[in-house]
Amino acid sequence: MTQAVIVARQFDDAEQQRKASDLGMWVFLATEVLFFGGLFTAYIATRLHDPQAFAIASRLTNVTLGSINTGVLLTSSLMMALAVRATKLGSGRAALGFLCATAVLGVAFLGIKFTEYVLDYHDHLVPILDFSHPGPHAGGVENFFYLYFFMTGLHSIHMIVGIVVVTVLAVMTARRRFTPDYFTPVELGGLYWHLVDIVWIFLYPLLYLVSRT
Amino acid sequence: MIAHPVATLRSYVLVWVALIGLLLITLGSAYVPLGPMNSAVNLAIAAIKALLVAFFFMHLRSAHYMLRIAAAAGFLWLAILIGLSLTDFAVRY
Amino acid sequence: MSTDGPSQGANSAPSGGSAAAKPQAWGDHASNDGPPRGANSAPAGGSAAAKPQARGNDASAGPMPTPRSYLDDGFSLWSWFSSVDHKRIAILYAVSITLFFFTGGVAATLIRLELITPAGDFVSAETYNKLFTMHGVIMVWFFLIPSIPSTFGNFLVPLMIGARDLAFPKLNLLSWYLYIAGGLFTVGALIAGGVDTGWTFYTPFSTMFSNTHVIAAVTGVFVVGFSSILTGLNFIVTIHKMRAPGMTWFRLPLFIWAMYATSIIFVLATPVLAITLFLLAIERFAGVGVFDPALGGDPLLFQHLFWFYSHPAVYVMILPAMGVASEIITCYARKDIFAYRSMAFAVLAIAIIGFLVWGHHMFVSGQSIYAGMVFSILTFLVAIPSAIKVFNWTATLYKGSIHFDAPMLYLLGFVGLFTIGGMTGLFLASLALDVHLHDTYFVIAHFHYIMVGGSVMAFLGAVHFWWPKITGRMYSDRWARFAAIIVFVGFNLTFFPQFLLGYLGMPRRYHEYPPEFQVLNVLSSAGASVLAVGYLLPLFYLFWSLKYGPRAGSNPWRATGLEWQTPSPPPVENFAAIPVVTAPPYQYSAMEIAPQPPRSRSAPAPRERGEGPGEGIPGKDAV
Repeated sequence: MTQAVIVARQFDDAEQQRKASDLGMWVFLATEVLFFGGLFTAYIATRLHDPQAFAIASRLTNVTLGSINTGVLLTSSLMMALAVRATKLGSGRAALGFLCATAVLGVAFLGIKFTEYVLDYHDHLVPILDFSHPGPHAGGVENFFYLYFFMTGLHSIHMIVGIVVVTVLAVMTARRRFTPDYFTPVELGGLYWHLVDIVWIFLYPLLYLVSRT
Repeated sequence: MIAHPVATLRSYVLVWVALIGLLLITLGSAYVPLGPMNSAVNLAIAAIKALLVAFFFMHLRSAHYMLRIAAAAGFLWLAILIGLSLTDFAVRY
Repeated sequence: MSTDGPSQGANSAPSGGSAAAKPQAWGDHASNDGPPRGANSAPAGGSAAAKPQARGNDASAGPMPTPRSYLDDGFSLWSWFSSVDHKRIAILYAVSITLFFFTGGVAATLIRLELITPAGDFVSAETYNKLFTMHGVIMVWFFLIPSIPSTFGNFLVPLMIGARDLAFPKLNLLSWYLYIAGGLFTVGALIAGGVDTGWTFYTPFSTMFSNTHVIAAVTGVFVVGFSSILTGLNFIVTIHKMRAPGMTWFRLPLFIWAMYATSIIFVLATPVLAITLFLLAIERFAGVGVFDPALGGDPLLFQHLFWFYSHPAVYVMILPAMGVASEIITCYARKDIFAYRSMAFAVLAIAIIGFLVWGHHMFVSGQSIYAGMVFSILTFLVAIPSAIKVFNWTATLYKGSIHFDAPMLYLLGFVGLFTIGGMTGLFLASLALDVHLHDTYFVIAHFHYIMVGGSVMAFLGAVHFWWPKITGRMYSDRWARFAAIIVFVGFNLTFFPQFLLGYLGMPRRYHEYPPEFQVLNVLSSAGASVLAVGYLLPLFYLFWSLKYGPRAGSNPWRATGLEWQTPSPPPVENFAAIPVVTAPPYQYSAMEIAPQPPRSRSAPAPRERGEGPGEGIPGKDAV
């Protein structure tokens, strides 16, 4: 017997509630695009201001770790998408597995990122904390790394929120709170996760691949 | 009782394969000297990856048109911010 | 007054988590429970599962009691501060924005006192900088931007579309708490000594050189930005997904169109402000950044990012006022709006084109001349939909049966003053003229004509129009009309001289000026004192009416619109039965009863005509 979906008082029925939640989430994602978008704009302006500095600075990033991290995040997106799919199919155990995999890969991403940060610190690439760069473009290089840490830092904060959300969803899945008729939180959590992935998809080439030749 | 259509496992995995493939291409192309085209290629590939994630993982492909409008609006407005700012930055710098 | 059972499809499943007082039986309900509530059939009695809950009532005990109004739904402070009822949240906002309005007004008073004499003798230059900064910060972010959307939008959007509440009531309450949290940061900055950067926080002064509490102030604005974003998100989803049956897009009141357009701006512009202020705070804190030429950055980057939000923000300030105008002008001219669709499309056009013009704040900042030309042309373009609206309001008035009640006085003032403000915007949009006028009092007069002569007048008109609906009381129309006239006279006396001052070259943000400008400055300050009286008067007669005013019927103005088809004040769940809409809005010409002559103020509310919803309007439940 399928248990009934609880419909909040302001809605007529479960369908209206689900559609409203979907639209609400997508509107929220649009705000996130613009939130990060301001940083991308700052990046573009600063790069146009001193393109050589950005070329030099980008070569100082750790492209190996950055590329591995991109792969990790893309895979976590697959896991999340499969978790949503499994929930819709009623496969609670598969969904739980995929959600855990998503969270684990998210933590792995953060671990690799943190490693990069530590390596950057040892290379004196962290502004405010004994940044130093020889050469004429030091100011521009420092600006690049200021934006690098700001953008990846903000992205990491979003990742932490995402991991918490996915963990909560995993706990709720373990408690059998979701059914093929009621999976909205998983769907919305997935949308958030994928958006954070999309932000990284654009961050990656802009930060790591500016001038590798 | 499945009330909502669900894509196949295969389709999700294929999208993932494409994403990883595009990642390798963008990484590889960064080492090929193409001048300013490097950035253009990288951004184009990033856009394709983003569209794959949006359409398949985020189910925009089968979504109500209003959701697609909301998604498009975010990126379109960012394009406005960047585009109109460039009338200043690209000229002055 | 409908005495139908309050519960629509509610069943006895515990709803968990609603606000403290839950006298009505309508709580969260299970999805597999009875038919959807959309149809305007006999209300809920039809569903056997719809038993009212625990007030000891049950369906067999006879007719249901009159639904409690939202004001009677709990009297404790906690019931107000924890309520997710959109009507209560609107009241929370109304009280808070009023407090902020008068705080910003105190700053304005001190500014105008200083400017009575040419010498900088009342306050120091540093203090003066702090005064105009705090005036701007408070008035823009803590009064104008939330004013109509968070009070009237919150109260009226569900009522006007025939819904029980917004889509996300808890997010709505969170919005208010974010507003208060942001306000506390900003007031904290004020108490700790103020900020002197101007409300525009231009870099590198704000990041490198100001010795005031910039980070506290921008944190406050950052937080209140999220309040706006959540409100906008809530409105968009509500308007898309929760309209009553038959309420198609082109049957929506224009106030809803205005709220929708405003919400688009909220969600797309505010995030950019948030990240920009975040960048500013980090740059100030850390001493590295991208906004300072000494660090290899660009102050114009800050300005582009700031104005990308702040220009659309001014449309946030005017679009709701335009929505109010369409509601009030039609009611007091007893006439359908002229060219409804063009009015609806015009608000959307203003919202969208408004995103394309921000560079007109930067014509003399050093941005490329190419950018200047692009932004100038686009700015001329945005005037077109605004002008269309002014023409249409005028056409609505033409051959209407005009009643000069207080709301109408405010909105007639709105149309005229907004027109002046808008036209002077065209002067500023012209590149060559702006070279002369930028950073002068001409700009100040321009935006005050729109924000004060426009938005604040419309806000006051809205207060007077919907006061009976919100509070269930009638106020003294004589005092209200008197206050409206005082506001109009005081406003023009304050700000018209400023156009002349600006044209003659007096710069803004200076606490002293050459002696030849004194006469105009004195006129302006005198006007400000009159304006202050006009703003204080409503506090008296409106609060007096709460206790002593005659009780209002559901539709004292005989207006169209679903909000008038429910009792005043509305019950918690808004409607006993969700109405079905079959006609477009503003069907005043279809009303059978002749337009009501102006009532004598001592007569009681038209109870003698019966105060049932839709009295005198053909098709009781159909609008």
